[in-house]
Formats: sequence, structure tokens, C-alpha cells
Amino acid sequence: MTQSTPRSDERQMSVEQGGPAPILRVAALSKRYGRAQILQDVTFDVPAGSVVALLGANGAGKTTTLKCILGVIPFEGSVDVAGIPVRRHGKDARRRIGYVPQSPALSEGDTCDQALTFFAEIKGVAKSRVPELLELVNLVPQRATKIGHLSGGMRQRLALAAALLADPPLLLLDEPAASLDVESRRDLQQLIAGLRDEGKTVILSTHFLDHLDEVADRALILHEGRLAFDGSLDDLARRARSNRYVVNLNGNAPATFLQALSSAGIGPERVQKAELGWEEILLATAQEREGDARPAREEAP
Amino acid sequence: MKVVAAVARKELRDAVNSSWLLMYAALFTVLALGLSYLGERNLGSVGFENFSRTTASVLNLCLLLAPLAALSLGAGAIAGERDRGALTYLLSQPLDRWELLAGKFAGLSASIALATVAGFGAAGVVIAFYATSLDVGTYLLLVVLVLALVCVMTGLGLVASVISATRVQALGLALLIWFMAVFVFDLLLIGMVSATSLGGGGLMIALLANPVEIVRVLAIIQLEPDLQILGPFGSYLMERVGTGGATAILSVALAAWIVVPVALAAWLFEVREA
Repeated sequence: MTQSTPRSDERQMSVEQGGPAPILRVAALSKRYGRAQILQDVTFDVPAGSVVALLGANGAGKTTTLKCILGVIPFEGSVDVAGIPVRRHGKDARRRIGYVPQSPALSEGDTCDQALTFFAEIKGVAKSRVPELLELVNLVPQRATKIGHLSGGMRQRLALAAALLADPPLLLLDEPAASLDVESRRDLQQLIAGLRDEGKTVILSTHFLDHLDEVADRALILHEGRLAFDGSLDDLARRARSNRYVVNLNGNAPATFLQALSSAGIGPERVQKAELGWEEILLATAQEREGDARPAREEAP
Repeated sequence: MKVVAAVARKELRDAVNSSWLLMYAALFTVLALGLSYLGERNLGSVGFENFSRTTASVLNLCLLLAPLAALSLGAGAIAGERDRGALTYLLSQPLDRWELLAGKFAGLSASIALATVAGFGAAGVVIAFYATSLDVGTYLLLVVLVLALVCVMTGLGLVASVISATRVQALGLALLIWFMAVFVFDLLLIGMVSATSLGGGGLMIALLANPVEIVRVLAIIQLEPDLQILGPFGSYLMERVGTGGATAILSVALAAWIVVPVALAAWLFEVREA
């Protein structure tokens, strides 16, 4: 099912051959809010030029991970962006990051033009970039429209334009497709693919797993604040399928098959079609991790 | 400094677009106009004293309204961004926290200063029209004193904003500071003086602990150093060190009041989580 694009195959190979240096290095990252341990000992590297999907259920720690990478909240462990330690040189590190939050809280009274001009000034970028970026995200007709009058998808695109103003090598997109309709989601996928082709590194926290393999070449799965998986999408799919089998019932009713298994003392946890979507794969990997953490629990194969 | 200037410009634009600042500017201008018109018309034949007294009335209005506006806007600066989920987004930009805070301080102070100057300007025109004698230098000095107070109160509002979890909490704290500084402080200290026979040092500290009182005494010294209207703390200071000494001490204290709250807010903002 998972067919990586030729580009991602090439990239994977070059990483294995010691290719691009990591643009992002996260080591032993932990974060606690009061008594709640949000992240625990999360370690991963992201090679330059890759698109990484950061996956996990709500509350798994995806957004907190992004905030730590940005250096906007204190954390334990270390995060380096392009070799710059975020904790000590947060401002320098953030110069190399473009961030699109899940719900971009832009000033409602500003026009698109004013908002981008403000971000251009903060990032030290020439104002001539503003019209270029508005064109890139198809917001030229809305350039004088107040943000309060924009749809959620338009705001998302405006935030993406702001993130791209300084042409940063690393992009952090937090649920970028959340407010988008199907067509806009397609446009976003194309945009991300284009950014990847330009050599940008994209970390994509997402719930929308359709066509994930067309966009990302690697997945990180967080489960209850721990890194449950770090590898290629092929590995992820292979791993999730490893303890699942396709049984040809040869015309027999599934109930007969289940009864036979039951008579043999085997109780399958569930029976489902073998063709797994990305959501099932994600769920299975998270459950596997849960199983690892609780060895006493016995599960059917 | 480019980042600070960018944040300040945006803050000024937001403030100018907001109804709060327009309301403050309109209210202040109307009241200042009314006070100066009535004051000058009723006391039109008394000459320079007339100028001083009318100006003092406008000044008292300023000491009431300007701190309220500055504290309220300062209180909303960080807590408001936090409330609407914009703070993390702002901090994700390549800027230091102190730069964001300094930009907000500069932009807010400038916006309240503009509104205040508008009110003062309108009142100044009326005073100039009616007064038989006019001291433009003193009038401008009073404007500067009020603007300094605006900076102090914006800084204190920022402290309230940084330490509060929500905008409402920050506004509550700002209102408390305003009420204490404008109404309660004097009464409390007069009570303490009579009850505990506060000595000279105590009186001095009491005066310097309230920026509104510092500005009031400084303004009166410039206008008409009348011991009766200076109040107990101002009178004590004048008797001890004279006009020049009092002006110097109070000016240094006012400068410290501008710097310390902003520095404190910046430090608290640095160590507290977004």
C-alpha cells in the first residue's frame, strides 16, 4: 500500500549513506506541566530536506514538542536547530524556523498586507517579499481584506505565508489541514511537496492521514508523551502489518472461521479487512507501544 | 531595535483602531475643555493665578484618567495575547521576549500619550484664549510630567499583565493599583502619620512610593509652590531641601519609576512560561 515517491526513496538512501546532516536534533526531551508529564525522554533527528509526519492522538504531546523546538516554553533535554541550541540561542534558532500554528491568532483588525508586513519587519525581511508570498498562497485578492473577515483556511494560508517570509530551512506545521476543505487540503499537499522539492525540511503534525505517504517520507509517533515510532512510512506499515494476517475464507462465513479458532482455544482480538489505512496503522503502533509498557497484559495475535 | 520599533508601530496601530483609546481621548478632551473653559471664564480677571489654578484642575483630571488608561492598556498587553492564543505565535518569531515587551511598552505609552496630548492641547487653546498671562513653558512641562506618569503606569500595567493568567485578572489587578495610587494611598499615609508619628524619612519614603503623588507634587512645585496644597509629604520635602532639591529628588524618583516596572515586567516575562 505504501508507495514512497522516488524522491523520498532517494532521500532515505542518502540519509542512510550519511547524507544530509540533521537540521533538527532532539535529545532526551522532557516536559512537565505541574504533575503531568507531557513529554518523556523523546529523542530523534530530522535530516535536512525530509518531510516528517508527527503523529499521535490528542494530548500525545505533538504541539508541546513543536513548542519546545521553537523554544517558547522551558524544557529538559536539548533541541538543536541547524546546530544552534534552542535553549541558549532561541532567537537565532527561530530565524531558521517557519511556524504555522493550528489556529493562527492573527490580529483581526489588520489586513493581510499589514499582517505580513509586520512579520517581515520582525524577521528582518524586505517588504517586497509580501506580495510574492500573498501570490504563493493565493491571497492576492484578499490583500486589503481584514483578517477578521477571512475564513479559517485563508488564515491558515496567511500564516503559512508568514512562515515562509524569511525562506527558513525548517517548517513546523501544526495541524495545517485542520481548517481546510478537501480542495485546499490537496493544494496544501502540493505546496508541501513543492517545499520538499526546494530542499526544505517540514515537520507536519497532523490528524489527516489520507495521502500521508504522498507527502511525508518519515513518521514520528508520540504516545502518551513517549516516542512510540521513528522511521520511514514503509517501516511503519510493515511493522503494523507484521502480526496481522489475511485469511482467505474460501467461501466460508466468517462466523464459522471464528468458531473454529475459538474451539482451538484461540481468541482473535478482532477481525478486519487486511488493507490497513494510515489511521489503523497509527492506532496499531500506539497500541503496540501500550502493550510494551504493560507486559502483564496478554493479547491475542 | 528594529524588532522593538516594529512591535511598537503595530501596538500603536492596534490602539488607535481600538474603541478604548478613542473613548479615553474623547472623554479626556471633553473634560479638559470643560474644566479649562469654566475655570477661565469664572476666574478671568485674576491673571496668572487664574492660569495656575485652571491648569492645576486639568492636571488633576490627568492624574485621575491617564493612569487608568495606561494601566488598563498595559494590563491587556500580554495577558490579552495569552487569552486569545496569540502569545505563543508571537514568541515563535525571531524575537526576544524583552523586545516584545519593550515594543508593547513603547507603542502603548505612545498611543496614550497621543490621546493625552490631544486633550491637553485642546485645553491649552482655551486657556491661552482666556488667560491674561500664560506660561507656555510651565504648561509644556506639565504635559511632560503627565506623559512620564503614563509611562510609569503602562509599566505597572505590564507587570500586572505578565503575572496574571487571564486578561480579566490583569485588569482587576490594574484597577486595584489605580485605586490604591489615586485614592487610597494618601488617606492611608495620613492615617499612618497621625497614628504612628511617621518621621521625616518615613514621609519621604511615603512620597516616593507613589508615582502619582510624585507627579502631583512636582507639578505643584512648578505651578505654585504653595505649602498648603502640596500636602504633608510635599511640604516636608520643600521645607527640608527647597525647590531645587525637591525637584531633583522627585525627578530621579520618577525616572526610576519609569525604568523599574518595565525592567521587572521584562524579567518576570523571561522567567514565566508563555
